[in-house]
Amino acid sequence: MEWLSLLMFVVVCVVLMLGYPVAFSLAGVALIFSMIGTFTGSFDQSLLNALPSRLYGIMTNQTLLAVPLFVFMGVMLEKSKVAESLLTSMTQAFGRMPAGMGVAVILVGALMAASTGIVGATVVTMGLLSLPSMLKQGYQQSYATGVIAATGTLGQIIPPSIALVLLGDVLSSSYQQAQLAQGIFSPETISVGDLFAAALVPGVMLVLLYLLYSLAVGVFKPNWTPKQSDEQKVSVPQILVSLIPPLTLIFLVLGSILLGVATPTEAAGVGAFGATLIALQKRKLNKETLQAVMRSTTTVTSMIFMILIGASIFSLVFRGFGGEELIHSLFSEMPGGKFGAILIVMVVIFLLGFILDFIEITFVVVPLVAPVLFMMGVDPVWLGIMIALNLQTSFLTPPFGFALFYLRGVTPESIPTTAIYKGVLPFIIMQILLMVALAFWPEMATGLPKIIYGN
Amino acid sequence: GGEKSSSGEIAEQKQYKWKLVTSWPKNFPGLGTAPENFAKLVNDMSNGRLSIKVYGAGEIVPGFEVFDAVSQGTAQMGHAGAYYWKGKMPASPIFTALPFGLNAQETNGWLHYGGGIELWRELYKPFGVIPFAGGNTGVQSAGWFKKEIKTVDDLKGLKIRIPGLGGEVMKKLGAVPVALTGGELFTSLQSGAIDATEWVGPYNDLAFGFYKVTDHYYASGWHEPGAMLEFTVNEKAFNELPKDLQTIIEVATRAVNQDMLDEYTARNQTALETLKNKHGIEAKTLPPEVMKALKQASEEVIAEQIAADPTFAKIMKSYSAFQQKVAAYHKISEVEYYNNREL
Amino acid sequence: MLLSPFALCIKTPLDNDKNKEAMDLSLPVEHFVKRIKMASDWLGRTVSWCSFLMVIVMAAVVILRYGFNLGWIWLQETVLYLHAITLMLAMAYTLNKDEHVRVDIFYRKFSQRKKNKVNLFGHLLFLMPMCVFILFMSWSYVAQSWLILETSQEAGGLPLVYVLKSLLIIMPVLLLVQACAQILQIFFEQKRNQLGETK
Ligand code: NA
Ligand code: NA
Repeated sequence: MEWLSLLMFVVVCVVLMLGYPVAFSLAGVALIFSMIGTFTGSFDQSLLNALPSRLYGIMTNQTLLAVPLFVFMGVMLEKSKVAESLLTSMTQAFGRMPAGMGVAVILVGALMAASTGIVGATVVTMGLLSLPSMLKQGYQQSYATGVIAATGTLGQIIPPSIALVLLGDVLSSSYQQAQLAQGIFSPETISVGDLFAAALVPGVMLVLLYLLYSLAVGVFKPNWTPKQSDEQKVSVPQILVSLIPPLTLIFLVLGSILLGVATPTEAAGVGAFGATLIALQKRKLNKETLQAVMRSTTTVTSMIFMILIGASIFSLVFRGFGGEELIHSLFSEMPGGKFGAILIVMVVIFLLGFILDFIEITFVVVPLVAPVLFMMGVDPVWLGIMIALNLQTSFLTPPFGFALFYLRGVTPESIPTTAIYKGVLPFIIMQILLMVALAFWPEMATGLPKIIYGN
Repeated sequence: GGEKSSSGEIAEQKQYKWKLVTSWPKNFPGLGTAPENFAKLVNDMSNGRLSIKVYGAGEIVPGFEVFDAVSQGTAQMGHAGAYYWKGKMPASPIFTALPFGLNAQETNGWLHYGGGIELWRELYKPFGVIPFAGGNTGVQSAGWFKKEIKTVDDLKGLKIRIPGLGGEVMKKLGAVPVALTGGELFTSLQSGAIDATEWVGPYNDLAFGFYKVTDHYYASGWHEPGAMLEFTVNEKAFNELPKDLQTIIEVATRAVNQDMLDEYTARNQTALETLKNKHGIEAKTLPPEVMKALKQASEEVIAEQIAADPTFAKIMKSYSAFQQKVAAYHKISEVEYYNNREL
Repeated sequence: MLLSPFALCIKTPLDNDKNKEAMDLSLPVEHFVKRIKMASDWLGRTVSWCSFLMVIVMAAVVILRYGFNLGWIWLQETVLYLHAITLMLAMAYTLNKDEHVRVDIFYRKFSQRKKNKVNLFGHLLFLMPMCVFILFMSWSYVAQSWLILETSQEAGGLPLVYVLKSLLIIMPVLLLVQACAQILQIFFEQKRNQLGETK
């Protein structure tokens, strides 16, 4: 009855299209299937007892603490107009450049992305920060939302990234297991540090690709990215002055991580606190603004966590139907040697990325497939980067990418969802191109860690 | 149930499929391989009548929810460390390790021939959970430090990740215990957000890659002198098993309990060699003055625990009595031998 | 202004509207629905302060540790508690504000009637069973924690784990009440429209 888990996957996709909230659809469909399974005896219902423990685990997850904090920072910057003035000044700095504001968004986004790796937090933060300004300037809806969604998912690949941290943990165990199974008892190790170093070149390349694309859009489709009118132009010193507070903030967040003042999670709190101080200093913070920031933070956080809860219930039921065995059998019958195996793994992870979030995939799927691939001689660092890139792409892919859900959650009603879908397409293509390039030149990922950490 | 097991065939035919949830990532070296070994042993010994599937942390329940999962019957078995359940039973850390307490060999002695396991089972009884010894790491390392520890003053303001009672001890000496997830550990140590961390011992520490970001490795353990892990079994599920399968579980836990110590004994020294020869890490010991301070602070912390919880006090009575006697004997046997061997 | 929901619940709505159509139940029920929505709005706005507190406490943790070499596990845990309280207590508030994200390629083009149908169907089939299920499953888990007044597993942590776990019960209850209110609202809106059409 493993096919029931596949049917459930299909049904949930159909139900989601009706437009009922994603979180409740995931949970509801899964529970209905669990009942069907219980009656037909094809479902291990004792698994459902794990529900309270899983929910408690989600709500007390230390790593996910960064979500509300980053959201708070984003909303604070938006509501206090700091974000707008930052983007306007940066746009002026890049004023002569085609798609100046797009370039500004990508650069700010890359820096923001560096500080966290939780897709929900960065996409939402970027959306709140930059979308209103871009729309105000008359940017085309698709391009604007596409840039934001893509830049928001950069957080996964640009270190320090929570996704890489978790992935590193799991890959390291799998790598050891594979070596022990081969009789190597003083095994080579990979650490989070290796993954961070490996992610740097691909991450920067993605940023460059996004920038190139934006420049091309600016040149060939100037009406998508209108320039500012001349009367808005301000002097260079003015631009520099207005750049100070937001750059201070980015320095606070990134700097506190790099200088060892705070952990990545805590840095989110530092950022949120810093944003509040900046708003205060600019006299843009009153009781109404603060309340608006708090309420917005609260609903966005609830929205994100409800999806995590829904996805967790879904994956529990998926497992109860033997979905895991299904994946396992799929992988164990991998044809075509190493290349075929990697391809299948990548495709399956991509598809699972539609419904399961990265935590689930990291803990459920990766331990299943990684040891097998390592035994075939696949480089663990390279595999980690490929999985991260793959998930990043999956989260961007319509209609069920998580990044799209999150962006939709903070996009004005006036923008149709299809506009977002169209907007992300070019970015998906760029990411796939990068993955292909990585497949041909693995050194792009594995080179740097070797230089930094030796061996 | 006596008839069932003797009258045979129905009981013999019956197949049991159990789940075992763990606090470790799947296949985590050492800690995570023990439950896998256990499952294989049980499967082989029972000729497949009891098959156990092992789940890593987060697969069914998060690592810190293992006890609840076994208690509620979500899974029939768990593999974890007793000190994780301190929030439910303040006395539970005694069954993992106490600072300057029993080592692995002595813990096994106390547990199986000194009344320890009876006290342990009594402690878990209200939750419908039966504990078994589930392996031991041997003496754990004091940890990885960004700066050298020469005097007790070097501990003042030291931001260290050290869970459990060890953290309380450190706090008494002026250190700042920081709660961190495993995921943030490496980066936090690298950046200097924390100054030090303890982990397990050379085998696991090497795999984690601490040598890449810190220079000072103190191998001399004090806070977990042989951390014992635990297998837990849901009482109801256990009682439903025929006697022979119950015995198989008992024997398999005993085997794995010893096997993990054997594995760590073999792997730790190879890893230590790799750390030294390949990565240039020289294992150090903490100065005696620091050790003395740690020991004194540990005694204070344990005294506080005893005062706060009558169950802790009751179990400690048995534990301390055993430690006193075994220490006296080991001083003239084990310690003496270790010294003589170096002559 | 913080409007207490309890003050609103004291007087019954029936008294005011006796002169309206006697057979039409919709008015009192709509009052009731309105009150529930106001209560959930009040709760949401109140717990949203926790998100701000969270920022303050987190910043304090960093500043105290880095600047003054001070740190307490319980203070770190306070951030986590505030986080859990915000998100679990605000699920219903978020539903009330219709902020739970949808795949709205088709939905946004639907008529209000059709949207109502989707929501009615979803609430009854997905949301409410989910809540009942979470409630049912979490009961003994939470009760167990209360029974032993579970404390933190960390030495020096907050001794209020049982309070934290209670959120697993409160969250689905709030969502259920909110969903009921929305279903009633949809039901009476439809009925009103039908009445309007027949008149
Ligand atoms: Na990042
Ligand atoms: Na340890």
